[in-house]
Amino acid sequence: MIFYITTIIIMVLIAPILLSFIKMVKMYLLFKRPISILQGYKDVSKLITKETIISKEASDITRIAPFLVLSPLLLVLFFLPPATSGAFYVSFVDAFTITGLITLSTFFLMLLGLDSASSFGGLGSSREAFISALVEPAMILTIFSVSMMANNLGVAQAGVNLAKEFPSNHMASFLFAGISFFILLIAENGRIPVDNPETHLELTMVHEAMILDITGFYLALIESAASIKFVIFASLFASLFMPFGLDLNPWLSILLFVAKLFFVALLVALIEVNTAKLRLFKVPNLLGIAIVFAFLSLITFYVLGA
Amino acid sequence: MVEFFIGIFLATLITALFTTRLYRLLLWYSLNSMSLGLLALILGGQFEDRAMIISGIITLIVKAMGIPYFLKYLSERLSLNRQISPNIKIQHSIILIPAILVFTFYLAEPISHMVQGNSNYVAISISSLFLSLLLMMEHTNIAPKIIGFLSMENALFLLGTTATGGMPMLVELGIFFDLLMAIVVVNLLLKNEEEVEGDA
Repeated sequence: MIFYITTIIIMVLIAPILLSFIKMVKMYLLFKRPISILQGYKDVSKLITKETIISKEASDITRIAPFLVLSPLLLVLFFLPPATSGAFYVSFVDAFTITGLITLSTFFLMLLGLDSASSFGGLGSSREAFISALVEPAMILTIFSVSMMANNLGVAQAGVNLAKEFPSNHMASFLFAGISFFILLIAENGRIPVDNPETHLELTMVHEAMILDITGFYLALIESAASIKFVIFASLFASLFMPFGLDLNPWLSILLFVAKLFFVALLVALIEVNTAKLRLFKVPNLLGIAIVFAFLSLITFYVLGA
Repeated sequence: MVEFFIGIFLATLITALFTTRLYRLLLWYSLNSMSLGLLALILGGQFEDRAMIISGIITLIVKAMGIPYFLKYLSERLSLNRQISPNIKIQHSIILIPAILVFTFYLAEPISHMVQGNSNYVAISISSLFLSLLLMMEHTNIAPKIIGFLSMENALFLLGTTATGGMPMLVELGIFFDLLMAIVVVNLLLKNEEEVEGDA
C-alpha cells in the first residue's frame, strides 16, 4: 500500500516538472537560455495568488468546470499500472473506464470554452471535439491489441502481465501498437504536430483558445490538469510499452519508473523541435497513420501471430 | 529481436507511403534498408552463415548510406521538385493499406506451409512487395518511383533471406551489381527528365 500511495504522490508532484522539462530541452536545443525545471511550480504559485475574474456572460459552469476537469484525471491516477511488482493495484478497471474518465475531463473543458461566450472559446472547443473524436478509434484498437498480448482487459493487470511475461514472440505487433500509442499521446496532450501549447495565435491554438477567459485559481487548476493528463499518458506508455525493471528493489524500480517518464518527455521534446505544426485539416492524416498502425498491430497479432 | 526488425521494416515502409517530402522519403528508405541489413546480420549470426553476414554488411553500406546519399546529391544537383504529393488521397490510403495487408497475409497462408523457416516472414515480405508497388503507383514524379523500385528490391531481399535461409551469395552480389547499374540508368533518366521539363 505504501508504494501505491508513494507512486501516486510522486506522479502528482512530478507532473509540472515534466512539462517544464520538455520546455527546457526545447529551449536548450534552440540555443536559448533554458528555463528552470521548477517553472511549472512557479507558474502555479503565481496564479494562485492572483485575483480570479469571471466574465459577466459566464454561467455557473465556469465556477464548477475547472474542478470537474481536474477530478476525473486525479481519479485515473489511482487506476494506473503499478511501478513496482510488490505494489497494490486496481486490477479490474479496464481501458474503457480510463478513456471514459479522460473524455469526461475533456468534455468539461469544452463546456468551459463554450461558456465564456467569446468566439475563441467556441473555436477551441470545436477543434478539441474534432481531434478527440478522431483519437477514439485508434485508441480502442491499440488498447485491444495490447490487451490481447497481455491476456487481460484490465489496464493495471495488463501492465503487470506484460512485465511478468514479455511478449517477445509478438515484437512486431507490440512495436506497431507502441508507435500508434505514441501518436495518440502527442495528439491527446496537444503537443506540437497537433497543437502548439505556447502560442496564442488564433489560427493554431486549440487548448489555449478554450481557457483564454480563465484566470487566477481556476487557470492554475486547468494548467495542473493538463500536466496530470500528460503524466497519465506517459506512465501508461512507460508501463505498457517499456515493461522492465519492476522486480528490482521497490524504491529503485520507482526511481526507474520516474526515469522512464523523463525519457518519454525527452522523446516528445525531440519530436517537437524537429517537426512543424500541422495544419488543422492535416491532423486527420496523422491520426489516420495511428489508425493504420493500430489495425496493423491487431491483424499481425491475429493472422500471423508475430 | 528478428520480429522487432521486421516490424521496423514494415513500419518505415508504411510511413514512407504517407510522406510528402523527398528528403524524408529518403530517410525512411534508409531506415528501411538499415533494418534489413541488421536483420541479415542477426540471422547470419544465428545460422553461422558467413555469406549472409557479408551481404548484410554490404546492405548497410550500400543501401542504408550510399544510395540515399547519392540520390540526395542528385536531387540537389538537378534541383528536383522536393514536394511529392501522392496521387491517391491519404483518406483512401488509410483504407487501402490495411486492405492490402489483410489480403497479402491471407495470400501467403498456403505458401507458408512450404517454407521451412518462420512463415510470418514470407507474409510480411510479400505484403511489403505490394506496398512498394503502391508507393510506385501513387506518385507521378520520378524520384519517389525510384524509391518504390528500390523498396521492392528490399522486400525481395527480405524474402530471400528469411524464406530460404540465405540465397547463394553469388546471386545476392549479382543483385547488388544490378542495383548499382540501375542507379546509373536512373541518373541518366533523371537528367533526361530535367531536360524535357526545361524545354517545355
